[in-house]
Amino acid sequence: MVAQGIPEIGSYIAFLFVSTVALVIILRLFVSPRDPRPTPEKKKPFESGQIAAGPGRTRFIIQYYPYLLMFVVYDVIAMFLFAWGLNLRALGASGSIPVLVFIVVLLIPLGYALHLANHRENW
Amino acid sequence: MTDLLFLAFAAVTIGAAILAIEARDLVYGAAALGIAFLGVAGLFFLLDAAYVGWFQIAVYIGAVVVLILFTVMLVGPKKGETPLELKRVSLLAAMLVSLLLGMTGALANATAFPGPDACGSGCDLALFSTSLLKNYGVPLEFMSLVMAAAVIGALALSKTDRGQ
Amino acid sequence: MLTSPLFLEIVLFPGLLSIAIIGALLGWLERKVTARVQLRIGPLYASPAGGILQMFADLIKLSFKELFVPENSDAFFFIMAPTTGLVLGAALVGLIPFAPGLQIANIEVGLPAFLAIITLSPTLILLAGWSANSKFPFIGGLRALFQQTAYEIPLWLSALGVIMMAGTMNLAQIVDAQTGGWYILPQALGAFIFLVTSVAEMERLPFDLPEAESEIMMGWQAEYPGVLFLAAQGPGFVKLYAFSALFSVMYLGGFLGPSFLPSLFWMLLKTLIVIVLIMLLRSTFPRVRLDQLLRAGWTTLLTLAILNIGITYLLVVGLPTL
Repeated sequence: MVAQGIPEIGSYIAFLFVSTVALVIILRLFVSPRDPRPTPEKKKPFESGQIAAGPGRTRFIIQYYPYLLMFVVYDVIAMFLFAWGLNLRALGASGSIPVLVFIVVLLIPLGYALHLANHRENW
Repeated sequence: MTDLLFLAFAAVTIGAAILAIEARDLVYGAAALGIAFLGVAGLFFLLDAAYVGWFQIAVYIGAVVVLILFTVMLVGPKKGETPLELKRVSLLAAMLVSLLLGMTGALANATAFPGPDACGSGCDLALFSTSLLKNYGVPLEFMSLVMAAAVIGALALSKTDRGQ
Repeated sequence: MLTSPLFLEIVLFPGLLSIAIIGALLGWLERKVTARVQLRIGPLYASPAGGILQMFADLIKLSFKELFVPENSDAFFFIMAPTTGLVLGAALVGLIPFAPGLQIANIEVGLPAFLAIITLSPTLILLAGWSANSKFPFIGGLRALFQQTAYEIPLWLSALGVIMMAGTMNLAQIVDAQTGGWYILPQALGAFIFLVTSVAEMERLPFDLPEAESEIMMGWQAEYPGVLFLAAQGPGFVKLYAFSALFSVMYLGGFLGPSFLPSLFWMLLKTLIVIVLIMLLRSTFPRVRLDQLLRAGWTTLLTLAILNIGITYLLVVGLPTL
């Protein structure tokens, strides 16, 4: 009942996952050395020599957040476009009209984004 | 065999969803949500809908989870702060919700909504695509309007933040 | 089961062992190509011929380094994020047809499957950068997130052009559909966009801002010791291999070629040419700044990709009616 090819990729990914995790575990347990007397500086975050001050997760790049939202929407759009593109030869021009309207409607927010991107001080 | 796989995927989905709600650290919750979506994708593969399954992975785990993670990292409780306390759901409420969902599932199964030439089992991708465009063309246009509104809204929201 | 063709494919070729060896050899190749461009010699000593065992020596050295996590970091994601990245990179190779029949998973929707697996990469890098609880990795992780999500959409849309021309999403059938002519000519714009966006997805120069060595100290990979460093760097080379192979399948006719040499040879030759091309990009272009990068991805490349869809539509639907 499962689609063609899925069991193979499923077993491949499962095999990869198990072998990679097993490899890391084996390395951690047997191969990598342990440090009997670690100094406190060893585990501190690396900042090219200076002492790290302040919390680690500080500088958030928030101004590009709308790009993430656009990404979610256009990812969904890609799904419908792929379904259309697959059947293009069979559908022909007449069958493609709903999708062409679809694309044209979605070009409007793209144009808005281009307009906003030109105002470089906002981004 | 497929029954076993179904139980496995369903267990993963439900278990990960419970983890997503109950996790103390919200980042773990978001990651558990990603695993739950993976379980749903597995269920799609079992239903012979590989196309939808892969896009489930791409859109939900690849886009929605990353958006949730980013937001949680931005505004979630920092380590040491007390996480949000939720009221415990009473047993009665849980039973009522399960009853409601069960009834909805039974109704949906009884073909209460016959669609126009819906693509049933034995549907390959080409047939799916044709039926999508020929029979569901108008819902497709509505969806495009909703998505365009979402994108314009997101862009406009971002603009008002820098109103100086 | 142990001698079934699937198991042999998974373990030997094009699966696990060959990916590990090819990944290491690509590391060596990159150093050699970059060195020659810069009029240096590159790795020389570790081997019989031109330092070819250099990466294996590095691998052995790194395994013997201590594996620890920085304090205040999130150990689970710190270890699991790059490991899963390695698994996903290797999973990509499983979808590609190297020769008729030599393919681990011949999925009917192979091309969206490949792109869907790549779409998981920003999530993993964000988690890896966040887990180290240190400023440089976190900034690198955020930059990687924005960069990769910006270039995903042009990647999907340029791949759409190939699907429109081939009429199928199955990678083996896309190769077969090119027996009449490789797609790189009619899809020249799409191929260009695909190449640029895949270089951005792999975080290679000129798009290596998330791991900018001179700026933020290897970015999200900065805190990774020993073998985990390999787990963080390895997916870069495996993705290079996978994307170049996909480019050959989509635009250069995959394993098609004159029959006096086996199909596998043609496939590997084309993949190698694309790999060297991408490596030469590293030595040629300066690094792109983040806002330039995002603006280019969302405006220029996306518009070009939509233009490509329009051109392909006219080619497929319009031309036969003329």
